[in-house]
Amino acid sequence: MAIDRYSYPFTAIVGQEQMKLALVLNAINPSIGGVLIRGEKGTGKSTAVRALAKLLPDQQVVEGCHFGCHPDDPEDWCLDCRERARAGALPVTTRRMRVVELPINASEDRVVGTIDLEAALKEGSRRFEPGVLAEANRNILYVDEVNLLDDHIVDVLLDAAAMGINTVEREGVSVSHPSRFILVGTMNPEEGELRPQLLDRFGLCVDVEGIRDIDQRVAIVEKRAGWEDDPNLFYQQHAESEQSVRSQIAEAIATFPEVSLPREILRLIAQISIALEVDGHRSDLVCARAAQAKAAYDSADKVAVTHVGDVAEMVFAHRVHSVPFGKGGPNLGEVITRMIGQA
Amino acid sequence: MSVTLDRHSFPFTAIVGQESMKLALILNAVVPTIGGVLIRGEKGTGKSTAVRGLARLLPEHEVVEGCHFGCDPAALEALCAGCRLRLEAAGVLPSHKRRMRVVELPINSSEDRVVGTIDIEAALRTGTKRFEPGVLADANRNILYVDEVNLLDDHIVDVLLDAAAMGVNVVEREGVSFAHPSRFILVGTMNPEEGELRPQLLDRFGLCVDVEGIRDPDERVLIAERDAAFKRGDHEFANEFAAADHNLSRALAEAIAAVKHVRVTHGHARLISSICVEAAVLGHRADVVIDHASRALAAYRRHATPSREDIYDAATLALAHRARQPLRRDQDETSSPEQGEQQEGSKPSESEPGDPQASESESGADASAEASASASDSGEQTAGSDQGMTTGGSAGNESSPDALETFNLKRIDLPRQRRVRKQGGKRSASQTADRRGRYVRAEPKAKVNDLAIDATVRAAAPMQKRRGRIAGERLMLEREDLRQKVRERKIGNLIVFVVDASASMDAEQRMAATKGAILSLLQDAYVRRDRVAVVIFKNRTAEVVLRPTSSVSLARRRLEKLSVGGTTPLTHGLMAGYKVVKTELLRDPTIRPLLVLISDGRGNISMFKEEPLVEAQKVAALIDSEHIDALVIDSARDYSHLPSVQHLARVAPMYQTYAINACADLAERMGARYYGLYDLSRDEIASAVERELSRGR
Repeated sequence: MAIDRYSYPFTAIVGQEQMKLALVLNAINPSIGGVLIRGEKGTGKSTAVRALAKLLPDQQVVEGCHFGCHPDDPEDWCLDCRERARAGALPVTTRRMRVVELPINASEDRVVGTIDLEAALKEGSRRFEPGVLAEANRNILYVDEVNLLDDHIVDVLLDAAAMGINTVEREGVSVSHPSRFILVGTMNPEEGELRPQLLDRFGLCVDVEGIRDIDQRVAIVEKRAGWEDDPNLFYQQHAESEQSVRSQIAEAIATFPEVSLPREILRLIAQISIALEVDGHRSDLVCARAAQAKAAYDSADKVAVTHVGDVAEMVFAHRVHSVPFGKGGPNLGEVITRMIGQA
Repeated sequence: MSVTLDRHSFPFTAIVGQESMKLALILNAVVPTIGGVLIRGEKGTGKSTAVRGLARLLPEHEVVEGCHFGCDPAALEALCAGCRLRLEAAGVLPSHKRRMRVVELPINSSEDRVVGTIDIEAALRTGTKRFEPGVLADANRNILYVDEVNLLDDHIVDVLLDAAAMGVNVVEREGVSFAHPSRFILVGTMNPEEGELRPQLLDRFGLCVDVEGIRDPDERVLIAERDAAFKRGDHEFANEFAAADHNLSRALAEAIAAVKHVRVTHGHARLISSICVEAAVLGHRADVVIDHASRALAAYRRHATPSREDIYDAATLALAHRARQPLRRDQDETSSPEQGEQQEGSKPSESEPGDPQASESESGADASAEASASASDSGEQTAGSDQGMTTGGSAGNESSPDALETFNLKRIDLPRQRRVRKQGGKRSASQTADRRGRYVRAEPKAKVNDLAIDATVRAAAPMQKRRGRIAGERLMLEREDLRQKVRERKIGNLIVFVVDASASMDAEQRMAATKGAILSLLQDAYVRRDRVAVVIFKNRTAEVVLRPTSSVSLARRRLEKLSVGGTTPLTHGLMAGYKVVKTELLRDPTIRPLLVLISDGRGNISMFKEEPLVEAQKVAALIDSEHIDALVIDSARDYSHLPSVQHLARVAPMYQTYAINACADLAERMGARYYGLYDLSRDEIASAVERELSRGR
């Protein structure tokens, strides 16, 4: 179910810059791999994700395709699009990237999709009715309280996320379709941990906490009151800033592939990974992409050390091995500050 | 608007006392976005009477005719999909006035009843997927009342939280995909003795009040008299309170109309935020709630803008369940409110426009009394003494051990299948006989007793043509179509550690071992659904430092601060541990608790004015009689290689047993296995817990 009602403007969210940046970077380059937002209750986690929906870019899709296939990307086409393409050029239309929500009580049939009931009744045919994973293709898949998701659904999600494909074998339907989504999750760690495999799926991770500054707190309350009084008026008041962020994102999407990644920057990223003793190489890749997206967002044509500094913490936050009682392991903030300082 | 009294509804204004509860309800009625109220306290204190009584006093509101969700025809943004279509087609939505209702959510509700589900009749008759609205649909624009909210199943709580946060109920299950508005005033009641509320849900309640039975004999008599008058349908009583209710109802309507124009001044907004910072609340919801509640209060008291008093009264209600530091009103407040204003750090130049008498307006009934009088002034939870929050004192010789590395614990592996208890483990999940748990998928089964309608219809659908169904007639089902619901529940072990934190030679090791063991258990908790609780005893009390949780980060934070020192209130510790177990069993009888006592067994503080060791023995016997599995780890010495405990216990006269080995004696009385602490460092705790859990009784 896509959401666009009830949303508070993104640019009216006070503070929480890291969280907002992480969301924006993902909108610029989906291959960053999503973001997990961890934090105490009442810090605007869910509000921010839902607000992001209005800033998302337009994208080209094959008209009439259930999965929103990209017309220029035959590799990722669904079977339907492949067949249609053989018959002639695919019709193309534009739509806005969406935030598709996966409620934590979703049942499997709705997540992966199932047999189309009406077609089955009328024609006795076994046609596929797409589920949330189909809708999420090329969109943001948002799971609120992701740590509370049923294990079973998590398994399905992990399968799809790993392959970029959702394979359905049930009730006599046998279908595979593309399902590449930006996974965005929010959670309150007090409610329980996330499974490590799922944690690893998130490109970025930000920890949010309540703001202690009185002025900012007051601003939060006042804005909130303004919004509740008259959402339309409030939205209009923020229309300009919303539009400017939206076009900034759209511009960055166009330019980020051209932003150069100097070799010394890649070395710096590798050094940070080594200093933090993270497993594997995913962190290097994610960090490079995030820094590149940040540079594009800042209208730079080359990734600079500061861009790495801006994103490093959210890249590594969930990849550093946690040590009981925080002793003995490398300190994330310290290491990053030191390495950035040296570079 | 007139208030009609019928024989079945006790008038709101006739409720004696419980002023803060009544005020909290009223404030929510004035500004529904406050986010509801949690009422904590004993049974029989008029909680549900008050909620129902209030609902009748609220002004009627406009609802779209025939809409399941009671949409507001004026709020175009919040219309449900059906109303949108109707509006587009007809251009206008017919509406009528309706009174706000109290929609009850029974704690044994199934998830499909709460969120809504596929319309079974439509599915079977015509094979169409229609959404049948549930409780969350009924609750839209009404009061959602949850009695004993702390006993609600976890997965229902999740759903509730989601809807409360969004104001929308999103359904993606059983073949239906649907979203509808679900904005409600959440009113919950709970008895804290029966278990805590999950922090996330706790925070969703805008306000919180603690109620207790009235101690004043006169007031108690009054309660009884009014109740009797109500029951026999006394006219005088009815008339008196019909008038009072009517006045209150009018005052409410006026407040609702007025609150739109009530604003918190900038200076007072700073005051609100500084109160929240001082109370060390998490997040920002408290600020918003206080802002709303103080505006509601000001409107109700007919202030043009919330006064300092209004703000503090609102804060008292909003922080009762959020403050981590006690809420302080200014010390000078009673003597001179003006001085208080300046010392609070808000700008002294702020003027306070139009703050008339801070006393209650004569708006009607006795219900408009101030919150300050009876609301608890402290944000601290004041549970029973054995569950007190802090032990205080004895700062002298306390230290905080963290020598975890010395106890390099092997991962503790708890076996999944031990008993006949039903478990919602990972892949081993199967349907539970009592049909609890979340319906995650369906499968064919020889004998179906928990029918998955959606899956059954889907299975039957492709066959209809072949079976010769004529379009429009009911579906033709056969046995092979039937599908059983597969439910998953998050159940696992509950391991309650009762840890001796008294000062003695081995205290440091004990603490380090305990911390290590707990974290080791929790590392796996995300898969296992195991939960861990920790009770610490030292000085004169026992404290539940960690309520049952599967959160590593929470456990880590709580355990970091533990310190050792003082005397050994063993009985207190055992009792507290026993209570934690009982509470959790009450919530969910299917869990399998294990109580792990880590101590040298030498209690020296009495709880029931008996010899401390005898007391401990009695509690141990109680634990045994309740068939609670237990494990005793003796931190004093390594006894595990000595002759069997049973043997020791048999040969030693009772009064000497504890002199020889107090811990082994306790273990015997609890029916528990007994180990020496030194075994822990040799990876033995893992197999110890494992053996214990696989032993069965």
